[in-house]
Amino acid sequence: MTNNILNSKINDYQFQTDYIYLEDIRRTINLDALSVGFSEEVASYIAMAVDEACTNLIRYSFNLDPNNQILIETQFDSKSFIIKIKDSGKPFNPTEVNEPDMLEYFKSFKRGGLGIHIIKKIMDEIIYIPSDTKNSMNTLTLVKSLHNLN
Amino acid sequence: MNQNSKFLVSNTSLDNVQLLHLHGYLDAHTAPDLENAISRIINKGHSNILVSFKELDYISSAGLGVFMAFIEDVRDKGGDIKLCNMKPKVFSVFDLLGFPLLFDITEDEQLALSKFSNINSDK
Repeated sequence: MTNNILNSKINDYQFQTDYIYLEDIRRTINLDALSVGFSEEVASYIAMAVDEACTNLIRYSFNLDPNNQILIETQFDSKSFIIKIKDSGKPFNPTEVNEPDMLEYFKSFKRGGLGIHIIKKIMDEIIYIPSDTKNSMNTLTLVKSLHNLN
Repeated sequence: MNQNSKFLVSNTSLDNVQLLHLHGYLDAHTAPDLENAISRIINKGHSNILVSFKELDYISSAGLGVFMAFIEDVRDKGGDIKLCNMKPKVFSVFDLLGFPLLFDITEDEQLALSKFSNINSDK
């Protein structure tokens, strides 16, 4: 039996690439995370990770152009809650971004660059597959284990 | 006064402190409103800023970045941006990234205000 057979899709969503929809994105992901059994605290963290991922997409992959779409699929299997975020913008691989040393970060008084750090702190697995000849969309997969519901 | 109904920032001038009350959700969409509010305060020559999070329900890295953008500037001028009255879920985001190392975060608004008084009386 493969993982695919066990996978259960929860929902498909489509959002425009505009920061104004971040609140809708968070509310949507929060509800799906609650529906698979996460506590309110963990569900809100997962929603935040997706907010950060979409914020980066809107800013870096679409240059704040609101006339594009982000597709989000939520799924779960026996072990995990899985969120796939798909876009057709400029590929941007968050897994290649080094995590900042926060002490150095604070000393330099930088701003920005924290979103990916937050995603990595919250999620258990992050997989990025850029678009290619087979897949026209970049796919960022965020995985949260169902073993830590609280 | 504010275009984002999901986020409101209000400013009260006290003796030596500018008090900002945040309401709602602070994300990439609403962070520019806070940035503008703090810019206005600094441009008027103030550098003691207390931010009350009592009515704030959410903050993302875009919101955290606003405080990072101004903290060096106000401290260079002898002031500070102090933060107070956070709901546990908002504080947990600051804590997740170690922000209590850089920012003075206090539970109680009056206590936070008194810290500014102590700084000023030292001068």
